[in-house]
Amino acid sequence: MAYGIQLQGITQCYPDPSGEGEITIIEGLDLCIAEPNITMLLGPSGSGKSTILKMMGGVRPYGVVTPSGGTVSINGELCTGEHPDAVMVFQHYWNRPDLTIAQNVALPFRLGLWKGRVSENEQKERVTWAMKMCGLEHRADNRPAQLSGGQNQRVAIARALALKPKILLMDEPFGALDAQTRKEMQALLIQLRAETGCHVVFVTHDVEEALLVGDRIVVLSTHRPSDIALDFNLIDPKPRDDLWLRSTRIGKIETEVFRALSGEGSPKDLRELGVEVNR
Amino acid sequence: MWNPHQPLSKSTRYGLAGSSYLLVLLVWSAIAFFELASSNALPAPWEVAQGFMVLASYNEAKESYLLVDATIASVTRIGLATLLVTSIGIPVGILMGSSPKINAVVGPLLDPFRSAPIVSVLPILVIWMGIDEALKVAFLVLGSVVYLVPMTRDAIVAVPREAYISLKDLGATDLEAIRHGVLPMAMPRIWDAVTVAVSIMWTYITVAEYVNADSGLGQLITHAKRFSAMDQVFAGILVIILLALITNISLVAAKRALFPWETE
Ligand SMILES: Nc1ncnc2c1ncn2[C@@H]1O[C@H](COP(=O)(O)OP(=O)(O)O)[C@@H](O)[C@H]1O
Ligand SMILES: [Mg+2]
Repeated sequence: MAYGIQLQGITQCYPDPSGEGEITIIEGLDLCIAEPNITMLLGPSGSGKSTILKMMGGVRPYGVVTPSGGTVSINGELCTGEHPDAVMVFQHYWNRPDLTIAQNVALPFRLGLWKGRVSENEQKERVTWAMKMCGLEHRADNRPAQLSGGQNQRVAIARALALKPKILLMDEPFGALDAQTRKEMQALLIQLRAETGCHVVFVTHDVEEALLVGDRIVVLSTHRPSDIALDFNLIDPKPRDDLWLRSTRIGKIETEVFRALSGEGSPKDLRELGVEVNR
Repeated sequence: MWNPHQPLSKSTRYGLAGSSYLLVLLVWSAIAFFELASSNALPAPWEVAQGFMVLASYNEAKESYLLVDATIASVTRIGLATLLVTSIGIPVGILMGSSPKINAVVGPLLDPFRSAPIVSVLPILVIWMGIDEALKVAFLVLGSVVYLVPMTRDAIVAVPREAYISLKDLGATDLEAIRHGVLPMAMPRIWDAVTVAVSIMWTYITVAEYVNADSGLGQLITHAKRFSAMDQVFAGILVIILLALITNISLVAAKRALFPWETE
């Protein structure tokens, strides 16, 4: 079997906010990501996107979920602990304000999961490379406060890249950025993905972002427990621009996605638009 | 005028501060000049200056510079106590801040002492430690540790959760997340806690040196009081205030140099 992430029969319950009983957020979810591409996990807030994404990084002791039921496999092996192949980037990046940008990018190498895995020399090479990839090569000695929000998010991405992850998990990474910066970062991500060949799983609630960036789009519905309402591939070449986004065909696809989000629609309608539907 | 965020230029700030000192000096001089208070209760500024000169100059009878010797003794005690209190208080505070369980155990033992009259335990301390050097340093340590520990703990707790969580998400162990995420962020506030602890020691120095007064600024003041040399008492107090001020200013300046990122 090809390298990939496989979720089987995932169920997740959380204690009900009212304090009584449990609510089931996800029930019996199956998802297999085998192609190295950008897979978008699209859904309204509260649908369980972050929960699913964190499971893909393995089960970690903080804030990361042990599925109430089902299994997660990475590369065909059951994944029950934090997994060194998977690295996460979040909307709320956090960079150590007292360290330089280069030191921030190198920070994970000082931590348990990575310590001793990579030689000093290679660490340096990777940090330089990752900063260059993210356009930070002239910022090595700056501190986070001297950089803009977008540049700080670049630091977070560079830090992830320096770990050469096979799987890059991104939770609404550009959600806090202004529109212009966001476009830049989307373009950067597409380019980085192509150059590194890693798997990217990207969580968003923004339909346009999903269409602009995604190779595959997995739509979660608003139902509770939520399920996969739609799952299709979008093979249109990138970068995709606003003109492409406004085209009639994409407009129709967008409509179908919105219908799927609200629990209507059917894959049949999408197939008629010449889209490869996985489910 | 009524704007908490109004920027003040350096010259305005120093000008205003200087004039408030000047005002106090003026009122004080006026009270002395018109003899509104007896010189026993409030000696005139010029008398205090004379008292200072007496203390500062060579004392034939004792064959030493009293003020210099006393200052060295007091500063040494506070230095030693600072060394002790930081090497005990900071680790304990960090442990308490890093683990709610440890805090739940140690906190209740420590917190009441923040509002307890620490001076009242002095007699007990005398029984335990005797009346020599150890007692004086121990009293300073005890007086300040009850502030340093909780303030250090609060400094740790005040660090935003993101610092801890982000490091965990990067694959840190619990202790690494504290060591590389939380602790560096807490350092400026821990430094503030040390600054407060040292300031508190300066306020306790006269009490510490009151028992078996053999040396130090506290002893100097006690001694002068016994001979009703109020000018020298005032001079001694002013020297303590000045030293406390210098300590404070240096620690604040050191903070700016050590943690430049905090104000960026
Ligand atoms: N650790 C948790 N404890 C309790 N409830 C949680 C926890 N994590 C998430 N939830 C709840 O699960 C639901 C889905 O959360 P999440 O996966 O963050 O959704 P999304 O990322 O799609 O917004 C939300 O209603 C949220 O309140
Ligand atoms: Mg989320």
